[in-house]
Amino acid sequence: MTRVFQFCLILYPRGHRDQFAEEMSQVFEQAAAERRAGGLAAYFRFAFAEIAGLVTGAAWAWIAPQRAARAAAEKYSHLPGELADAQRRVDANVAAMVHAIANHQFERARQLSNEERIARANLDTLRQKYGDEFGMTC
Amino acid sequence: MRHVVPQSAPEPKPLSEPVLLILTSLAAHPRHGYALIKDIELLSSGRVRMSTGTLFGALRRLLEDGWIERFEQDDTSRQKQAYRLTGSGRRQLKWELDRMRELTRAGLARLRAAEA
Repeated sequence: MTRVFQFCLILYPRGHRDQFAEEMSQVFEQAAAERRAGGLAAYFRFAFAEIAGLVTGAAWAWIAPQRAARAAAEKYSHLPGELADAQRRVDANVAAMVHAIANHQFERARQLSNEERIARANLDTLRQKYGDEFGMTC
Repeated sequence: MRHVVPQSAPEPKPLSEPVLLILTSLAAHPRHGYALIKDIELLSSGRVRMSTGTLFGALRRLLEDGWIERFEQDDTSRQKQAYRLTGSGRRQLKWELDRMRELTRAGLARLRAAEA
């Protein structure tokens, strides 16, 4: 069953697999060992729920970034092109920095922080160029 | 041309049940994946048995949002990689619990009024 579970992990995007596949297999093995002790029927119910959870989870892992990208495109649609790009760069930088810190990649976070400072200075310059009308916060 | 209203801090959205349970489980101390599943089962009196796919989908989103972070455990357990709440995650959990308390209070008051 563990092999079937590990095989189903290929349904996930590469980034998710790199980050979680090993851990997910370990958690599954621990849970499976416990359920096996509860009898065959309980084990098969558990196995079915796990595979269904994996398929659903994988589908969401593919869909979520696309939805986020669509939402981001709507968020910037009212801004002039270069201002939208600058704002998008700052937002992406902040998100990447939060992600790096959450994963304890502090060197990467420092590098992103430097990039963010430059991107924000560029954004400020563009805001001055376009005036208060587009003086949105980030 | 449209005017842009400066954005203030956005109002937090109500949390989904898996997210609420994960944040609640991590409120006391860090836990690894399997410990989270067991604790969530306990928290929900056996009602919620989160699948591995659901758990790690939610953990990924929470990591991306900066509500939880990875935490290296020093113990000898098989899984050394644990998760813990960040300040932002703690604020979100507190906001949601306050919201639920208000809702519970209002609901109970209406029930009492209807029964009186």
